[in-house]
Amino acid sequence: MQPELERELIRKCKIGDTRFYEPLVRAYEPSGLRLAVAMMGNTEDAQDALQEAFVKSYRSLHRFDLRQPFGPWFFQILRNQCRDMLRSRQARFKMETLDERLEARPASSEKGPERAHQRTAARETLWLGLEQIGDEHREILVLKELEGFRYSEIAQILEIPEGTVASRLYHARHALKDALVEQGVEYP
Amino acid sequence: MADRVTKEDLMRYMDGEMPPEQRARLDTELERSTELKRELAIFRAMRTDFQGLSFDPGTYHKSVWDKVNASVTRPIGWVLVVVGIIVWTAYGGYLFTTSPANAWEKLATGAIVIGILTLLASVIWERYQDWGVDPYKDIHR
Repeated sequence: MQPELERELIRKCKIGDTRFYEPLVRAYEPSGLRLAVAMMGNTEDAQDALQEAFVKSYRSLHRFDLRQPFGPWFFQILRNQCRDMLRSRQARFKMETLDERLEARPASSEKGPERAHQRTAARETLWLGLEQIGDEHREILVLKELEGFRYSEIAQILEIPEGTVASRLYHARHALKDALVEQGVEYP
Repeated sequence: MADRVTKEDLMRYMDGEMPPEQRARLDTELERSTELKRELAIFRAMRTDFQGLSFDPGTYHKSVWDKVNASVTRPIGWVLVVVGIIVWTAYGGYLFTTSPANAWEKLATGAIVIGILTLLASVIWERYQDWGVDPYKDIHR
């Protein structure tokens, strides 16, 4: 969504017109759901978290700084919502429905079928690895690798100093690598 | 990892968050260190796997907009209903007390109204208490 259009929609929402909130919800819903699924591990809980995060962000719009982009601000609320739900429900990241929802894209056959098969297997075990590495590592990896946020945006979402992002990413990637190697995935 | 390259440097390099001059320095370090090159290659391969996972929410889920909309507009509805009831009750009370009707008529009407409200309140309270101890209250149909 164009930043100018986004700002205009938020301005209208701040006045109290809920109709203008719909395009924002629809624009951020797919990426929000991806993050929520990656954090919660199943679609049902992810949808609950996403819905609640949209409601909370609407109610907090009066505090939103129009000079800032909506995305990182909303993802911060969503991330906190997911964490609250995981805490309050005493639930763990559960991969109940993930397998049905995920489609491993055909692996590239550039380096031969064996290599392609290996890559596909790595993708399948990737979610298992994510389950093992814990919330903190998982959320930063999803924000970077799946959503492609910049360090400054990740820092805002996770409420950490920008300088900490690189270090945390390193540890998360390392933890994931270890988890995958443990499952027999071979990297070059 | 090479001594002069920190783990943070490696991440910034990989994620394109490094200024060009520092990037050039790291390119040189990478040429020198096989260990560093290998680590970078592993992280890049993991990234490719990560991005290879597709999650298509559109195919599987209904938009949350309807529920979000209901949640953000419902409180406004309740506020309006409550304000309306208060205004009408106050106005009705004013008309009732200032009307030229006989005292016994006012008394009888008042008793009926208070009786109905008391019964209604007791039923609501009873239901609320039952709901509080209902073991199945969290189960959705």
